Amino acid sequence: MERLKQMIGWQTVMGRPVTRGDFTVTPQSQALTIRWPNGGLVWNRPVAILVERGGQTERIRIVDITRVLQWGLLGFSLVLGIITVVLTVLHRRNRNG
Amino acid sequence: MGNKFDDIVVNAVNSQEQGIELMEKLIAVAQPGAVYSEPIASGDYTIITASEVSVGMGFGYGIGGGTMSGPAKGETATPDELESGEEEGGGFGGGGGGGGFSMGRPVAVISIGPAGVQVQPVRDVTKIALAFLTAAGSMLFMLSRMRQVSRF
Repeated sequence: MERLKQMIGWQTVMGRPVTRGDFTVTPQSQALTIRWPNGGLVWNRPVAILVERGGQTERIRIVDITRVLQWGLLGFSLVLGIITVVLTVLHRRNRNG
Repeated sequence: MGNKFDDIVVNAVNSQEQGIELMEKLIAVAQPGAVYSEPIASGDYTIITASEVSVGMGFGYGIGGGTMSGPAKGETATPDELESGEEEGGGFGGGGGGGGFSMGRPVAVISIGPAGVQVQPVRDVTKIALAFLTAAGSMLFMLSRMRQVSRF
């Protein structure tokens, strides 16, 4: 288990805060790290920013529209495929009696 | 022969150390600095871009060798070796290789201005269009299959 933890890491990291005027923006990112003896893989993506103003902190999510649309279209195609298979099977059953 | 083997081993160890150094650099990509750009100020506004970053790599190496009695193929024993009967041949060799990839894609633009902080998403039209065409193709295929089934 410990070895697996060393090999695979999933962490949310806060970046360096940027102050402009009244606002302080702190970026937040999420990184997946996979390491093996002779190589590795890192996938890092922005998650949100923390906006601080007048002692109040607001979290604004960063949505990857492209990724959401890609997964949405893939999901829609899969659902349509499943419906087609179900309808085909039902139609064959009705025809055979 | 011994010196040759030592050279190969030393080179292989150096390659391994370089590979580990490269791995440490790879891990640096996991930091937020790799995802968020440095702030760019323009007038009252400050812009920060946020990107998705992926990096992967792998490397490998190997060494091998062997000895055999008698002169090696293509070599002839020296008169001293023939006299002493210490004829031997063999060789050592090694090699390595590696590969990797890196990918970056803008996801959003963060603007800090007098009106506040705004996050504007970046749409990758090419990727969306490709996904849409693939989905549309599969839908058309499914619909044609459904029609075929309903005919019989």
